[in-house]
Amino acid sequence: MSWLTDAFSGSFAQRALLEAVMVGVLCGVVGVHVLLRRLPFLTLALGHATFPGVVLAALAGVNLLLGAGVFGVLVVVAVALLGAGDRIDETSAIGVVLAGTFALGVLLLSAQAGFTRDLSAYLVGSIVTVQLGDLYITAVTGVVVLVALALLHKELVLGAFDRDGLAALGYPGVALDLVMLLLIEAVVVTSVPAVGTILSVALIAAPAATARLWTDRLGVTMALAAVLGAASGAIGLALSRHWNVAAGATIVLVASAMFAVSVVVAPRHGAVRELLVRRRAGRGASLAA
Amino acid sequence: MTRLLIEPFQVGFMQRALLAVLLLGVLAGAVGVFVVLRRLAFVGDALTHTVFPGVVIAFLAGQSIFLGALAAGLASALLLTVLTANRRVTADAALAILLTSFFAVGVVLVSRLQSYTADLSAFLFGRVLAVDPSELAQTGLVAAVVLATLVVLRKELLLRAFDPDGAAAMGYRVDLLDLVLNVLIALVVVAAVKAVGTVLVIALIVVPAATARLLTDRVASMVALACGLGALGGWLGLAVSYDVSIQRGVRLASGATIVVILVGFFVVALATGPARRALARRRDSVGVRSPRGGAR
Repeated sequence: MSWLTDAFSGSFAQRALLEAVMVGVLCGVVGVHVLLRRLPFLTLALGHATFPGVVLAALAGVNLLLGAGVFGVLVVVAVALLGAGDRIDETSAIGVVLAGTFALGVLLLSAQAGFTRDLSAYLVGSIVTVQLGDLYITAVTGVVVLVALALLHKELVLGAFDRDGLAALGYPGVALDLVMLLLIEAVVVTSVPAVGTILSVALIAAPAATARLWTDRLGVTMALAAVLGAASGAIGLALSRHWNVAAGATIVLVASAMFAVSVVVAPRHGAVRELLVRRRAGRGASLAA
Repeated sequence: MTRLLIEPFQVGFMQRALLAVLLLGVLAGAVGVFVVLRRLAFVGDALTHTVFPGVVIAFLAGQSIFLGALAAGLASALLLTVLTANRRVTADAALAILLTSFFAVGVVLVSRLQSYTADLSAFLFGRVLAVDPSELAQTGLVAAVVLATLVVLRKELLLRAFDPDGAAAMGYRVDLLDLVLNVLIALVVVAAVKAVGTVLVIALIVVPAATARLLTDRVASMVALACGLGALGGWLGLAVSYDVSIQRGVRLASGATIVVILVGFFVVALATGPARRALARRRDSVGVRSPRGGAR
């Protein structure tokens, strides 16, 4: 296990570890909501859409996360408006918005040849260069998002499963949807510096999908997803230092590996179990016959 | 106008680039109609990302990028089918995980190279101005295969899009038709990878088709419009990025310029929609029974 402890000596490595673990927990918990509401594609679009925001913010000399956040809100509004019309379905609307915003980012970047900050690092993340200020932002966002999720837990879950029921009980359904989208966006924007615009959705979808394979209870799913997200962050970071490869991508691969293993061996919903159940059912049928 | 639209294409590499984007515009437009009708934009986007590691592995191994992309595209189409067989895993979660993990494999491999960021951006965004004749021939070949398949299977694919139960009841293999469409999308990505890169292909597929959907209710005109808009956007995008680079000294990535122009078409179609519909309604009420009456 020495590769694990060796990887985190030195203050920048400890900062990176702290960031990876915090982002992992945050993405894991929010990911359960994203999967419940079938929002992975919108989350992916949010990640892509932060790119032009980051480039513009760098040009204007303001905080990059601010630019990313503003563009994320624009995407949510654009998708909501386009999807509300009857001619374009929501998936195509997301596709158009995703492609358009990302191309805008590339265009802006290409016009800035010899740019001082290497913004292409934003595409795949650069957790190793994370600063103390980034850590504070992640921590504050994390606390706000987790508290909001805890306070609104019942309403958000009900809204995901039964929108009509939520409306019948007198809750403001649209406002709650909006709150959920803003929380997801906050998590995407804070995780982008660590794992990048394209890969941030992985840390949201993979731990949550893995947790769902192991348990049927929502509270347990969230706790498990948080642990798996944090573990993906720490193990992925250590492996990337060990093999000297891109950190964000390695974190994603660890999270996907956990998912791949769980799809096969998970006790309740894994492929092995389903095979056994089917064979037992087959034997029972042949005995009955 | 001549200076903008014709003059740039007197040089050899610009002619090849123009031919490539025209081919890709028509190809992606035609496939895109089915992607939009079937609401497969997410699947299309996932396939564009999963082709990426194939490109990188082929590049590292010194093999044809075309073959690498093809292998990765087929492998991901297969894995997607296997993953969604587990009822506990929804299709969108499987797509997100597959997309990002394939993409991450590509990033990890590229990050081992010395020229990390330069290579990465070439793979992601393409180099349309560096397309050589043999790549053009490959693109042409793929376009011929894909368009021929679409023509032969158009009835079956449309039936599958609008009435999957009906198609199954009539004895068509719906899962096989789905696999065919996924492979066609992967082929478009493979054909476009060198010119516009893995990330922007999805724009060529989805945006012209969505624009055409805004403009017409008939599938045949939708296909024609999507192909036309895709090709026109490619031509304009190349011309504008060349003109701005040469005349104004501002470098604009050609692939991204094409996409921004395509999105511009979409926005115009969207903004003029209410006006066009009002006009059509007025025409309908003036001519008592116009042929398009009751369309909407």
